[in-house]
Amino acid sequence: MTEGQRRSPGGSSGRPDRSAKAGGGHAGSGPGADQLGALLGRVARGDQDAYAAVYDRTAGQVLGLVLSIVRDPAQSEEVAQEVLLDVWRSASRFDAELGSAAAWVMTLAHRRAVDRVRSEQKAAEREMRVASSAVAYDEVAEAVEARLDRERVRRCLGSLTELQRESVTLAYYGGYTYREVAGLLGVAIGTVKTRMRDGLIRLRDCLGVDP
Amino acid sequence: MRLGGSDPHTLAGAYAMDAAPEPDRSRFERHLARCESCRQEVRGLREATAALAGATAVRPPAALRDVVLHAAGQTRQLPPAVAAAPAAWAPARHRRRPGWRPRLAIVLAGALAAVAVAAGVVVVTFGVQGRLGQAQHRDHMVATVLSASDATMMSRPVSTGGTATVVMSHRERALVFTAADLRVLPTGESYELWLIGPAGTRSAGMVDGSGHGRMVGPMVVSGLAAGDSVGMTVEPASGSPRPTSPPVMLIGLR
Repeated sequence: MTEGQRRSPGGSSGRPDRSAKAGGGHAGSGPGADQLGALLGRVARGDQDAYAAVYDRTAGQVLGLVLSIVRDPAQSEEVAQEVLLDVWRSASRFDAELGSAAAWVMTLAHRRAVDRVRSEQKAAEREMRVASSAVAYDEVAEAVEARLDRERVRRCLGSLTELQRESVTLAYYGGYTYREVAGLLGVAIGTVKTRMRDGLIRLRDCLGVDP
Repeated sequence: MRLGGSDPHTLAGAYAMDAAPEPDRSRFERHLARCESCRQEVRGLREATAALAGATAVRPPAALRDVVLHAAGQTRQLPPAVAAAPAAWAPARHRRRPGWRPRLAIVLAGALAAVAVAAGVVVVTFGVQGRLGQAQHRDHMVATVLSASDATMMSRPVSTGGTATVVMSHRERALVFTAADLRVLPTGESYELWLIGPAGTRSAGMVDGSGHGRMVGPMVVSGLAAGDSVGMTVEPASGSPRPTSPPVMLIGLR
């Protein structure tokens, strides 16, 4: 996350030409990252103890992300459960060449959550949602690492332009498509696409994460 | 400055955040297959999104761990992909889980046998009238649902304790319900199943949780309509025409 890595604001996005560089840790590259990848390798061979360890490292993030998109606690737990089982089922498909283990898991989670909210909203679930929203979740605020991550993410989000930040947060935490984001923000579709990309590039550089 | 959608590269950010719906998504994936630097970019952006995810962590309920680890133990894993690797991770959007079907027949057969042995008596509900059917009819219905080509198994924690498992078939418009380790209710209360959907909220019968062993069911629930969910509430033992308490379990029947 040195200045040199940052893209010039606005110019942004140029061609993706970022050279590989050892990252300073976050989800993808922190001290736990390689361990998670190694655990997934064991999970792929059917090791249930390794799976329990993977669960313990990822379930809180998976559920938290799903909750931010799906909102309804009961449904979110369903989706989180599906995601975590997917990790078990498809661990053999994880390829460290294509990215970190944490990113792989969170990509599964995000996609499932988004699929859930974009599938036709079922009247039944809406009806029940009102009644079933009593579950409360503790934020894992006391976990130092989590708090540091949170602060870093907040700081890096703060380094984006307002439009970049809104585009990224609505898409990622809200599960909206870029067309929906454009509608919500009242800006042109092309602008939103560009801001999403520029915003993520800036975040990536600020966070010092590495593929 | 790129405007509009002419330059596919601009979609990398939206794509990395699952914010590019079809047909943009497929179009971009075709482009990715030909563009190594784009794949590299998407990888980096995905790492950034994983960091965003990290900031949302919550403490999951303890029951979730048991349910997930237990379900994993009963779920067949996919073999490694041997075909040409995909351009970037594009985890399959499987709505059905073909790998589960042969397995779930075994799981359910085991569950049914356990129930038959442990309980001796099995209450089965056919449709909304909740009339008792003959054992053969029930077994036939159970077998029909389990062997349906679109049979799907879903397992969910019950918020008050235990796990509910449903095998459903849209084609047969029916599901088989079982549950394990439900909290024993005080006398005068009982679990009731509901179908909830655009077709209305219909009772699917009382769950006989009368304390025989740890399994309840199987119950066959027929008359599924499009968009239904199955839910379970705690009701007076005589049943209620409408749910009178929040659901302790809810499964969307996709």
